Amino acid sequence: MIELFGVKKSFGDPPTEVLKGITAEIKEGEMVSIVGRSGSGKSTLLYLISTLDRPTAGDVVIDGVPVCSLSMKELHRFRNEKMGFVFQFHHLLPELSALENVLMPTLKQKKGEDFTPFAMELLWEFGIAHKRDRRPGELSGGEQQRVAIARALILQPRYLFADEPTGNLDSANGEAVLKFFQSIHRDRGTTVIYVTHDPLFAELAERELVLVDGLIRGELHPKHLHEFRLDPIPGFEIRPS
Amino acid sequence: MWFLAVRHLLSRRKQTLLTVTGILLGTAAYVVISGLMIGFQDFLVDQLVNNDAHVKVSARADKLTAQSLDQAFYGDQFVSWIKSPSGRKDNPYIVSPGTWMQRLEHDPSVSGASAQMVAQVIATHGKISSTAKLIGADPDQQKKVSNIDDYMLSGHLDEIGKSGSRIVIGKDLADTLGAVNGETIYLSAGKAQPQPFRIVGIFHLGVKSIDETTIIGALSDAQKLNMTPGRVTDIAVRLHDLRQAREMAGLWNLMAEEKVESWDQANEGLMSVFSLQDIVRNSMTIAILIVASFGIYNILSLAISHKTREIAILRSMGFEPGDITRLFLTQGMALGAIGGLAGLIFGYLICAYLGTIEVSADRGLGGNHLFMSYNLSIYFMGFMLAFISACVASVLPARSAGKMEPIDIIRGEGE
Repeated sequence: MIELFGVKKSFGDPPTEVLKGITAEIKEGEMVSIVGRSGSGKSTLLYLISTLDRPTAGDVVIDGVPVCSLSMKELHRFRNEKMGFVFQFHHLLPELSALENVLMPTLKQKKGEDFTPFAMELLWEFGIAHKRDRRPGELSGGEQQRVAIARALILQPRYLFADEPTGNLDSANGEAVLKFFQSIHRDRGTTVIYVTHDPLFAELAERELVLVDGLIRGELHPKHLHEFRLDPIPGFEIRPS
Repeated sequence: MWFLAVRHLLSRRKQTLLTVTGILLGTAAYVVISGLMIGFQDFLVDQLVNNDAHVKVSARADKLTAQSLDQAFYGDQFVSWIKSPSGRKDNPYIVSPGTWMQRLEHDPSVSGASAQMVAQVIATHGKISSTAKLIGADPDQQKKVSNIDDYMLSGHLDEIGKSGSRIVIGKDLADTLGAVNGETIYLSAGKAQPQPFRIVGIFHLGVKSIDETTIIGALSDAQKLNMTPGRVTDIAVRLHDLRQAREMAGLWNLMAEEKVESWDQANEGLMSVFSLQDIVRNSMTIAILIVASFGIYNILSLAISHKTREIAILRSMGFEPGDITRLFLTQGMALGAIGGLAGLIFGYLICAYLGTIEVSADRGLGGNHLFMSYNLSIYFMGFMLAFISACVASVLPARSAGKMEPIDIIRGEGE
């Protein structure tokens, strides 16, 4: 479970407040999309939730542990074991083959387990098993993004974070990526949190957090599509602007 | 991270090769220059040391001062000399050579000692005469302190021990006098009529200052010629370990009034030339390695600036700053190690080639090839220089890579 308590984030000097106090709760096993216009602070929010960034004020609590209280070392272990990341730009290591890229996070684990069968399973699941020995440069954009997702999943994280995972892809590939997210969420019970500006892709989540000018303006439950609730629900604070 | 570091290096083959070549040349230059210079130094030291002595005990030649004689002649009276006494006190000689020899022979660090009577003489052959230094010594003792016997063109050092005024002389001196082995030359110490000596051997060290002036004869013959029977002016000492020379000389100096000098003290001028050579050699090498280090620094910095995204993703996977630093540090170290090793091999090959070159310099029986040193310490030092400078050059970029925060990199890309 991820809890946010009055999280604020400012940049620059003089400071401009990008996030103006966000309180939210994301339950274990949820699939949540964060939507909003560009500049609404949705990516910033994702980086705060995923411990890559630290808030200026407020607290991020993951599984009951305040992230701010963790040391650098604990934070890195935390990321390694519990989190998977997918970025808009796939960020594969160009020197390594697809399979080696997927296995990269396991190098940090000192247990000496062999993750290769699981990596192959993931590649097979994503339909790119036959390209395991190709370098990223020899793969298409969609294939690269699938490798990146497989890499994010290799250590079976509890949380999968994605920042505009479809941003660089055509709609067919984008949809495929979201379908993978859905199946990951459904089959493995992974908590999936992703940022997108595409309303069609956002609808594929169980819950949409709508971010406007650094505040959560409401949430949509796409399963009941026309139910746009403005009244606060437990765990979400809506402030008048 | 080794595996990724290797992949990184292989992925930019050209740069890697260039950097390695830079380090290779630096290391090879060090090996070759050191090999040449140290080889030359070793040769000179060998000639000087092994044919003279590691440590030399010699009589102190005290000079008279204006006040030296006051006490003896006038007691405590104040004396003003019209012409003050001057000159050397008697002929210098070692007061009790027997005690010295006994002491040296029982010293565990001494491998041999030779009591000598050294005198300046004029050698005459026919109408030609030349000044020379006559060293009177016992051939058995002398062989223990110098390896002159290895440099004999003809004859043996042993023969001077046989009765009847026999000597061995340097090749250049023999040439000057026009004398050959078996002929008789006349020696005079300036105190009596010249006396005949028979040449029974000619040596050739390759060191002109010795070959041109030195005559070696039996101790008793030299003493007789100099009219100083039983006297010894020098004791040449050979140690088991050459490096102890200075220390032992210092120690023995305290024990008697004789002057005790180690070979390097006696050749102070040459030693300062050597140390100057070392300075030149080292500063040259350091200059080369600095250039190579800048190459490493540049290439790593460039690689890191190209790889910021990958650094960000590695960090988000849970790799720590230390891991990132190590990733790039390993690359620099690998470049240094590979370049260093290759440089040693390349340097060795050049040395081996240079060693076959004949030079016109006359170098006795050692042949007239360039003398190259293959001392292991040169190779060790060369490798360490390459490796350490590579490490130092990669520390800065590697640390800056480790300090990058993933969020800054991701954000810097713009949304």
